[in-house]
Amino acid sequence: MLEQIKQWIEHRRGGKIGSHDPGNLPNPKTPGEQLLTDCRLIVLDLETTGLNPSKDEVIAIGAVAIRGGIIHLGDQFDLILRRPELDIRETVLIHGIGPEALTQGHEIEDALLYLLEWMNGDPILAYHSAFDQKFLEKTLKAQLGYTQPHTWMDVADLMPAFFPNTKTGGKGLDNWADYFGLEVSERHHAASDALATAELTLVALNKARSEGVKTLKGLYDKLHYHRRLQNMHRF
Amino acid sequence: MASAHQENDRPQNIRAIMTFLREHAPFSSMDDSHLAHFAENASIQFYADGDIVLSPDQDVVKRFYVVKQGRIRGERHNDKEDRTETTFEISQGECFPLAAMIGERPTRTLHRADGDTFCLSIGQTAFVTLFAESEPFRDFCLRGVSSLLDQVNRRIQSSAMASIGSSTSLDTPLERYALRNPIVCSPDLPVRKAVARMHENNVGSIIVTDENRIPTGIFTLRDLRTMIAEGTGPLDTPIQQVMTKNPCCLPSHADAFEAAMLMAEHHFAHLCVIDDDRKLIGVVSERDLFSLQRVDLVNLARTIGTATHLRTLVSLRTDVSRLVDAMLAHGADSGQVVKIITTLNDVTVRRVLELNIKKNDPGIPFSWLTFGSEGRQEQTLLTDQDNGILFQTPEGMTAEQVREKLLPFARKVNDELAECGFTLCKGNIMASNPKLCLSDKEWDDWFIRFIDASTPQNLVYSSIFLDMRAIYGPTEPLNDLLDKILTRIRKNALFQKMLAGNAFQRKPPLTMFRNFRYISEGNKHSLDLKRQGLAPFVEAVRVFALANGVETANTLERMDELAKKGVFDPKDANAWKEGYSLIQAIRMRAHQEMLAKGEELTNYIDPDDLNPLDRRILRESFRQAQRLQQKLEVTYQL
Repeated sequence: MLEQIKQWIEHRRGGKIGSHDPGNLPNPKTPGEQLLTDCRLIVLDLETTGLNPSKDEVIAIGAVAIRGGIIHLGDQFDLILRRPELDIRETVLIHGIGPEALTQGHEIEDALLYLLEWMNGDPILAYHSAFDQKFLEKTLKAQLGYTQPHTWMDVADLMPAFFPNTKTGGKGLDNWADYFGLEVSERHHAASDALATAELTLVALNKARSEGVKTLKGLYDKLHYHRRLQNMHRF
Repeated sequence: MASAHQENDRPQNIRAIMTFLREHAPFSSMDDSHLAHFAENASIQFYADGDIVLSPDQDVVKRFYVVKQGRIRGERHNDKEDRTETTFEISQGECFPLAAMIGERPTRTLHRADGDTFCLSIGQTAFVTLFAESEPFRDFCLRGVSSLLDQVNRRIQSSAMASIGSSTSLDTPLERYALRNPIVCSPDLPVRKAVARMHENNVGSIIVTDENRIPTGIFTLRDLRTMIAEGTGPLDTPIQQVMTKNPCCLPSHADAFEAAMLMAEHHFAHLCVIDDDRKLIGVVSERDLFSLQRVDLVNLARTIGTATHLRTLVSLRTDVSRLVDAMLAHGADSGQVVKIITTLNDVTVRRVLELNIKKNDPGIPFSWLTFGSEGRQEQTLLTDQDNGILFQTPEGMTAEQVREKLLPFARKVNDELAECGFTLCKGNIMASNPKLCLSDKEWDDWFIRFIDASTPQNLVYSSIFLDMRAIYGPTEPLNDLLDKILTRIRKNALFQKMLAGNAFQRKPPLTMFRNFRYISEGNKHSLDLKRQGLAPFVEAVRVFALANGVETANTLERMDELAKKGVFDPKDANAWKEGYSLIQAIRMRAHQEMLAKGEELTNYIDPDDLNPLDRRILRESFRQAQRLQQKLEVTYQL
């Protein structure tokens, strides 16, 4: 009975232990003519021991999937990694993940393999994605020797690209969440932040559709165009 | 243990969705495992302002939605006026589309996002699972607003129970009351022996039954007192000569409320409870009904009915308000309370009439008619007079001569009723108005003109004159008159359509950008519960009742009759009755609060003062009124 419950929990939490095939992981997809109404996007958020990718570590991964412009709560990822060796004194107050949780967390290798399988090579979106990208790439490389480049998009760019004249009072996730009246259930919880980011993404995708942006490539281009525009303004 | 484990191990976002759902009905009454099932199978969708969420052009509805944030409005196109109307609004925590989902059909209303809106939704499979496994969910899906009203009623009742520490409610069937084994005797028993038997058993009444145990009379201590005081016979008299014949009987499935009303109306203290073969099962006394509640309706009715001076009647009016207070506190529903008030008002009016006849008999028999809310038996504490007189012109007199005798009398009665708290009618719809003190023939002519030559102007009076009752004097003349009126209306499709059009004018206060449409003049944030809330029900139901030959004037009873006749779907009728009753209950609670604060009674409330559940229920009730009006619209092609 207990064993069944345990399995059920593992399944629910997306941690299929030991059933991965490291040699046969899905290949990352590049932004092409996939229709936004068809494709799957990963919206991800990490909690780390600090802000410095060269010395801090990932301790929790939260992600939700958007398919066809809809968030499916059955298709999500919410794991704390088992890293009892890490010093989390500085950040425990932010993410609320204590030493005990880290002891009981998921085996890192297992979790990362499952994450790669679950993401299925689909494009990854995150708020201030450069941060998450650096941490995730570093962790994947260190733990699995995995170096394949994934497509990343920054929701912090996506929002102003589609809502250029919106006065949000700032560029943070909180500013946009407040602007659209989103309720973030537990800020600085990876999965909760990922969901809020995903909800913002839905708003952007809705706007994209009304502006005639139909494909993943179109979205990607729009983002780069916005980036270039921003950079030009800087000079 | 296992479940606690599961709760903590549920992903954060699932827990967050469950927390959100728990704040809203029906999810608030659902098990955690069912909420988790909802959350795990849910999708989140975003709709920008003006986006279409569901449309009648789409296929069968496959998803069940809950508004997570924002608002959805229902739109329907009015072909006649070629404009789009908002038919309903769905705000945070509310579900849609219930009927289409259950009926596995496309929605009939266009659902559009009103402002940026996020919705949670589950697919058919998860919906079916929850529907099968969760009773509160199933209940809500099938009965919608009704199941919510039940929740409120249960809450009101439970708080009332807590305050009186008793589970006695007026809905309790009589068979559940501890019926004392009734003391009975045969009709030929001498009074002396009957009284001895009462004494032995320490009871105040004895039931006289025939050989089949069918009650034929009742003899009480009061009868004994009268007998001795008036010396009507020796104590050897067979009891059948001094008993009260044909005692009041109710079947065992009748409830305590019916018993109390019967007692209050006839001033009895005892009722026989009988089975389907009319055999005696037991006796219920006034004390049985009210000992626990200390709400002495019967006694109050009797005191009013036997008062000998106007000033006594005036002073008793405060007792009426106190009684209503107690009734509400004891969890009596609004339908019961308005009937109680009407009964007590009837008794008061009758007593005023009796006292005046004693002093100054006009010498001509008449029926005292009441119109409007009193005619419908729907009076609250805030009430004004709407009355008239119906008489039969005696041989050798003209109607005008009769009026000369009756009008001064009626004037006096109207004034005295005003002293008792029945405000004089501003529109002069009173018996002392020569136009409303008419012979049967004149009333008939009056209604012929009213029905056959109706104008928008006189339709205004439909809510008054088409709901009438005789509360004093013979009832036959009014019944004859009503028969003719109903026949005439049933034959006159044009009049029905005009009535329907008139009823359709009063829109329940739902609107697009605010949750309520407040009345435009005067207090900005007030809602007129009578005109905006109750009137749409009353008026629409009246049209259907008159068109289908329903004779009763009471709105709830009319709906019952219409359901029986198949005019209303029973489920609809129930939802409408509940919606109507709830608005009435909120109105009466407001009246009691105003009385307590010493304020003047009004029908206005500020919706902001209501708690969220009441507010939502009030809005659901208005939505029911709107559905009723839609039926009117379809039936009469308005």
